[in-house]
Amino acid sequence: MMFTGENIVQIVSDFLHWIYSQLGISSLAGVIDPIIAAVVMFLFIAVFVMFLVWMERKVSAHMQSRIGPNRVGPMGLFQTVADAIKLTIKEDIKPVHRDKIPYFIAPIVTFVATFMGMVVIPFDKGMVVQDLNVGILYIIAITGFTVIAILTAGWSSNNKFALLGGFRSAAQIISYEVPLVLSVVPIIMMTGTLSLTGIVEYQRQAGYWFIFPQIIAFIIFITSATAEANRAPFDIPEAESELIGGFHTEYSGVKFAMFFLGEYIAVVVSSSVAVTLFFGGWLPLSFLSFLHIPGFIWFLGKLLLVIYLIMAFRWTFPRLRVDQLMDFGWKVLIPVSILNILLTAAVWLLLYGKKAL
Amino acid sequence: MGMIKYFTNIVSGFWNLMVGLSVTIGYFFKGTTTVQYPEERLPLPARSRSMIKLIYDGEKDQFNCVACLMCMKACPNNCIKLEGVRQADGKRRMTTFKLDFSTCIFCGYCVEACGFDALTFVSEEYENAVYKRGSLLQDEQAMKWIRPIQPANQEVLK
Amino acid sequence: MTDLLLSQVKAGGEFQFGADEYIVNLGPQHPATHGVLRLIVKLDGETIKETTPILGYLHRSIEKICENRTYPQCITYTDRVDYVSAMSVNLAFALATEKLMNIEAPSRAQWLRMIFVELQRLASHLLWMGAFAGDIGALTPFLYGLRERERIMDLFEMTCGQRLTYNYIRIGGVMIDILPDFVPKCRAFLDYFQPKIDEYEDLLSYNPIFLERTKGVGIITPEVGIDAGVCGPTLRGSGIACDVRKQQSYLYYDQVQFNECIETAGDCWSRYKVRMNEMRESVSIIRQSLERLEPGPIEAKMPPILKAPVNSEIYSRIESSRGEMGVYLVGDGTAKPWKAKFRCASFNNLYVLDQLTRGWKIADIMSVLGSFDLIVPEVDR
Repeated sequence: MMFTGENIVQIVSDFLHWIYSQLGISSLAGVIDPIIAAVVMFLFIAVFVMFLVWMERKVSAHMQSRIGPNRVGPMGLFQTVADAIKLTIKEDIKPVHRDKIPYFIAPIVTFVATFMGMVVIPFDKGMVVQDLNVGILYIIAITGFTVIAILTAGWSSNNKFALLGGFRSAAQIISYEVPLVLSVVPIIMMTGTLSLTGIVEYQRQAGYWFIFPQIIAFIIFITSATAEANRAPFDIPEAESELIGGFHTEYSGVKFAMFFLGEYIAVVVSSSVAVTLFFGGWLPLSFLSFLHIPGFIWFLGKLLLVIYLIMAFRWTFPRLRVDQLMDFGWKVLIPVSILNILLTAAVWLLLYGKKAL
Repeated sequence: MGMIKYFTNIVSGFWNLMVGLSVTIGYFFKGTTTVQYPEERLPLPARSRSMIKLIYDGEKDQFNCVACLMCMKACPNNCIKLEGVRQADGKRRMTTFKLDFSTCIFCGYCVEACGFDALTFVSEEYENAVYKRGSLLQDEQAMKWIRPIQPANQEVLK
Repeated sequence: MTDLLLSQVKAGGEFQFGADEYIVNLGPQHPATHGVLRLIVKLDGETIKETTPILGYLHRSIEKICENRTYPQCITYTDRVDYVSAMSVNLAFALATEKLMNIEAPSRAQWLRMIFVELQRLASHLLWMGAFAGDIGALTPFLYGLRERERIMDLFEMTCGQRLTYNYIRIGGVMIDILPDFVPKCRAFLDYFQPKIDEYEDLLSYNPIFLERTKGVGIITPEVGIDAGVCGPTLRGSGIACDVRKQQSYLYYDQVQFNECIETAGDCWSRYKVRMNEMRESVSIIRQSLERLEPGPIEAKMPPILKAPVNSEIYSRIESSRGEMGVYLVGDGTAKPWKAKFRCASFNNLYVLDQLTRGWKIADIMSVLGSFDLIVPEVDR
């Protein structure tokens, strides 16, 4: 029996159903299975995000000819644990005249909304919490939640600078959602399905990954994804050398940690979607498939490469001013993505004629 | 045409961004230049103006300092306080020497002004952090230093 | 009184706000690495209406202290006037004192001074490049600049013993001769460094984001520049040839070949380009000076106590990394100057900040301030 993701899922599922039959609750299997899958996904992402924070510090350090954290744990791997403990035991300073309930809810909404995006990402064939057949649409809809959370955070802080930062951040996220969606449309046109597993299956049958015909769409997608996550070069709302601290000025301790980790989870979600759409998800490189490496290892490897690229963006490029940022989104990314759709449609028709419609 | 310029701008801008990325990603694969202090230490050059010491002559069993007060006059910040007596054989010798390292700027004028080879910089001692500011006012016993035998071609500042 | 904008001070202290205007403090503590400079900014939304710099947070009364120190002792204080390019200030004071007392430094000392001042210019521009890029948002060139600076400081430490406050260029010459392996090490450093300038330009110069942040921002027209007393690379970015090394040559600058770097647009990008080109010119000057070094004495014959003639005064200027650094000395026959004044480039350059940023956004203050190469100890002394 080969060690693949499908087999692991099958084994675990059989084991769980055996436990249910022992406990006499086999009828509830349809309810408990997704809950357990979601919990496993949550734990995995929590650990992965801690790893990512360490990775960012190490990657940025080596790009700058220095060593990153290397004292706390082997090669500094427990640095994030130390940071998390520090944030947890910090005093929770709250502004006196804040709006209490929205102030409390905003970081939770950010954290939860970004997690919800991971529900449809397939790590391997069958290794997905719930394979919705509107997968892409679901993810795009969920990323809209963060706008509400940011506006709430900015408003409830009772701080005009946080409010302004929140406005700018919300405007940025809303304007970059349009090119995000438009860059995904050619893929949907080519595959005819919105389900992420379906898209990877199409790439397996077609024999090529979508990065090659859709390189422009990939670039637009990655750019919009970094703007969605408020990362450099689009991080004016939270830039350190600017005047206004952004929507999370008045947050400290665990609430700040939620915003901070929420940003990384957004990066993970966007990169996973990029890997699934453009790089073939769990598919191996065709000339290396004889090694029989399981699909989720391929997925994680590709995911780390895309995340590395997003981190390299942060440490190489200067910051855009807010109005230049909006100019870039509306005047460059949207026209180019629309042109990409037209180009894809034209080439598709030329190659396959009317019968492919 | 405006359209052509629009597209050439996008393409050339994208190309320059890639060039910039190649520089940073290139450095990712080159080594680091960090010296991990305190496990690794770089040796300081011989002329390093790190810590001022009073030279003690092991053979004659006395400090070289004759309390001529040239260092005291040369110091821009009046860090040095020193006293001497004329001994029985007619020569002056120093009795107390105090240098306040909390105001010293390590300019080197005292070492240059001394004509009796009594003061020197010792480049091996540069970790001078203390817990109490008072311990930076060092007297001649704390600053005592016996010059090690050096090979003929090694050079020091004085 | 210090909390008011300049316009309010002129208007008799009354607060005059237009609709939707508010005042914000870019406080003395902020992550931009210029030092403790406080800016009071009057904003309308995000557009700047007025900027007032409040100085004095780093005032150490160096000029007053120098009135109670002998001339050689003053040199130790000049290191601290501009600690990022300390050799230049040492040189400025030493040249002024030599002119006052009619001392001539020997030629080996002059060549050595040239080498070290140009190395210092490289180090200062590297730090500037890092701070400028860091303000704009690219955090990596700062680390690269500091890495190269460490090598230059190793060269300095090998010679005079210190890495930041050298006290090396003395009245009448230099402190101590260079070691025999200084010249090969210096040449090796220059060979290593010259391609790096091109690499850092690759990273920044034509980056579209960098261009958008700096092109057309903060334009100093030649008339405004000359009226306000702007000097140095800040003015050369507007097309005016104002390099003191060419206008009133000191040391042996008239005997080496180098170009004055001038750009005509007057915006932040031109000033950036001027400084990057100056780094290349400095490398060329150092190479030529290393070849012209000859053995000889390094200090002139001087009386043991230096006294200025009675009722004498001198104003002498050099081109430091930031612009024109002038020293005005008044001698009264004693060993201590009666008055010492430092005319620092950053102080005069700061004046045009208000005029340049009106109508622009907050993010542009950082670009413009970074392009001035401001060092606050020089502003406050």
